Amino acid sequence: MSRRLTVAVVGGGLWGQALALAALRAGSQVTLVSRREPPLVEGLQHERELSTAARSRLIVLAVPSALILDVLRELGPRLDGGHFVLHGVRGLVGDELATISSLVRTRTPVRRVGALGGPVLVDELRAGTPSVMVVGSHFQEMLEASREAFHHDALRLYMTRDLIGLEWASALTGLLSIAEGFAVASKAGPGLIAAFTTRAVHEAARITVAAGGEYDTLLGLAGLGDLLAAVNQPGRPEVLLGGALAQGATLDEAIAQAGLRVEALGLLPRLVPWAEARKVRIPIVSAIADAVLRGIPREVLIHRLMTEPQAASDRSPQAK
Amino acid sequence: MRRDAPIFHFNDARSAIEDEVVRRVVERVGDPTALLEDAIYHEVRRLSASGGTDEELARWRSLARRLQGLDQEARMAEIRALAREYARDISGNFDPRVFSIATRLMPPVLGALVAPKATFTSVRRLLDARALTDRITVEGHTARVAQLVKRGTVVYVPTHLSNMDSIVFGYALELAGLPPATYGAGKNLFTNPVLSFFMHNLGAYKVDRRLRHTLYKDVLKAYSCVLLEQGYHSLFFPGGTRSRSGGVERKLKLGLAGTGVEAFARTVLAGRPRRIFFVPATINYLVTLEAQTLIHDFLQEAGKSRYIIDDDESSRIEKVVAFSNKILKHNEAVIIRLGEPLDPFGNLVDDDGNSLDPQGNSVDPISYLRNRWGEVTIDPDRDAQYTRELGEVICDTYLRHTVILPTHLVAAAMMNRLREDTRSGDIFTLLRARQKVGVPWSQLAGEVAQLRDQLRVQEEQGRVVLGPSVRNGHGDMLLSEALRAWQGSHRSPVLEEINGELWIGDATLIFYYQNRLAAHGVALDVLTPKRDRGAA
Repeated sequence: MSRRLTVAVVGGGLWGQALALAALRAGSQVTLVSRREPPLVEGLQHERELSTAARSRLIVLAVPSALILDVLRELGPRLDGGHFVLHGVRGLVGDELATISSLVRTRTPVRRVGALGGPVLVDELRAGTPSVMVVGSHFQEMLEASREAFHHDALRLYMTRDLIGLEWASALTGLLSIAEGFAVASKAGPGLIAAFTTRAVHEAARITVAAGGEYDTLLGLAGLGDLLAAVNQPGRPEVLLGGALAQGATLDEAIAQAGLRVEALGLLPRLVPWAEARKVRIPIVSAIADAVLRGIPREVLIHRLMTEPQAASDRSPQAK
Repeated sequence: MRRDAPIFHFNDARSAIEDEVVRRVVERVGDPTALLEDAIYHEVRRLSASGGTDEELARWRSLARRLQGLDQEARMAEIRALAREYARDISGNFDPRVFSIATRLMPPVLGALVAPKATFTSVRRLLDARALTDRITVEGHTARVAQLVKRGTVVYVPTHLSNMDSIVFGYALELAGLPPATYGAGKNLFTNPVLSFFMHNLGAYKVDRRLRHTLYKDVLKAYSCVLLEQGYHSLFFPGGTRSRSGGVERKLKLGLAGTGVEAFARTVLAGRPRRIFFVPATINYLVTLEAQTLIHDFLQEAGKSRYIIDDDESSRIEKVVAFSNKILKHNEAVIIRLGEPLDPFGNLVDDDGNSLDPQGNSVDPISYLRNRWGEVTIDPDRDAQYTRELGEVICDTYLRHTVILPTHLVAAAMMNRLREDTRSGDIFTLLRARQKVGVPWSQLAGEVAQLRDQLRVQEEQGRVVLGPSVRNGHGDMLLSEALRAWQGSHRSPVLEEINGELWIGDATLIFYYQNRLAAHGVALDVLTPKRDRGAA
């Protein structure tokens, strides 16, 4: 190969490591930028200083959403219009619920931004077992660069231009996973769980449309696909957290049971007023919020969901 | 007046420009058969539907018949000939003598522009009109733009309200000591002999909006691109057409202005980088001549069957004369405000033409042209996305540089009163509602002042600009000014004072003028565009 794409993965957590390994497998020249010591893998370069990420053309951000502004502040002055910035962060920032790509766009000179999402799991990605990711960008160039950086026989990339939809789908799936954990642990029957899940996905789709994304993105790999993966993954923190709450644990106890950090938890108190201000009907998200933040028991919530007034049509008129 | 702008030597360069346009269009042809078939299809359809001449129609039909028998080379020759023909038709002329006469004759030209039926005789009657000099104000980032015209090509992208805009804006550049800009004017404006004479000799080029096929569009884009590369400062109305609602554009397609990225890339690839600077601007009228026609158009489109136009506005010369004379009596007749200049990627630009990133650091604009291996390229998909994002920045600039004049303010206050009285936010309900009681003068004046105070806060935050009288005047004074400006400007009275009370004469015009404030959260907003949800 005459031209190898240079890739820097920022963030040395499990997710960052997995992405770095995936890119390495696809034949990219990869630098993992992390203060932590990375796994010893042949060909994987390691840097501690954030600024070194600017030496690569494609920069993949894999840090928690709470750190993203600091990272951009420090990295921004090192970047120019020739960089491609991709992120795999499942979060929305601030009360305005800004997407990570919009923060990159408004805080750095970079225009070619994109996001990763979909049903891929950290363990699969690390192990290199066959899995699927979604990449979203308004730039075809970015979609192609991502495919070049990650695509190989065991990692298939689907591309979408609906960047906003993808980012919202990734963030909302975290919430839906909590809801799933809650529903399953509530010992609801399979029929009710199915109904609950389906309505929850459509509710997330309505939210996504209000945010400027496309309805169908939630029904695809980035939404429904990601959720199915979460539900079937043993030990998924969001599912554990929801389950613990359904069984009457306090929030602190539930967080302790989840073990790992749950991004969606921080999103919940900001999402409810956001949706209300935009007149999006969110009965399920409100119920999750009441369960998580106010400890309202599951019987009350199920009763409320079963008896709440039904809208004539829940599908957004803007959707196809 | 600076005479070193390339436009002053346009005539010498014209044939070279045409050659380059033809060369590029031909070079880029992928499938000559598809391109010709597309042209034939659109032209035959257009000419048979809208009464083209028999010869025109026959010519395209004959090409259609011959096409199968032509070999590849002959097809390319057809394309080359058509491209040449279109390039000639598009390209304008620039006569420095006409330019200096025109700046003196501006008011009549301006009048002629809005009255397509004007004749030389009627225009001569207008020659007595007072100069517009003290009635048109140019403000904003003029000093920076004056630096930038020396450092690259400046592309003006103003809001669009009236057919007067191109002439008014051209005149404003002259007032601000800036070199003239070439402008792609609708071919229909050239049917008026007087106008045609001026436009043609002022560097305007002809855009025939009836031609919708790819080949013509390619020629037009190539033409505009070549002009930018060669340093011809240009004027584009990125909104495409005049704002029907009176509102400031909130979504732009940019059209020909979108060639900015390509023009820049080509100069870089040719080894002589030439910066391209976009200057968003607002053109703010105290009264808009075509307000009535435009708002009726808007309501008809928005309301379909819910709204039916009673009758048409005439475009008689008397009306134009009266209007031009009237507009000259007001100090704030037209305020043109230049916003912060941008590079083609939406970055702010400093006085020296350096692009600045959001943190204020200098960023090399060439970097945006590099692909993932670091090579400078022209990539139509990428450049279209850059241009969409530039459009968003331009819209944001429009909002921040919208200048609020007394007519906008009073209309917004009156519409707010009507909304409160009828308890409705639906524009068609509001327009149908009959005012049952007059609004006492002092009450409306008070509400005008209140609204102004809200806008003052926004002005301090840099979200809008208040015209001089709006910024400092009392409610009373602003109300009188708006009434005086409206008086006789439109076919029907906008707002009338009867025994100390105010009565709406034409609610559609109140709606039109208040729409200027719709995006600022202090007036009825029925114009919010549907959000762009990506192409996929």
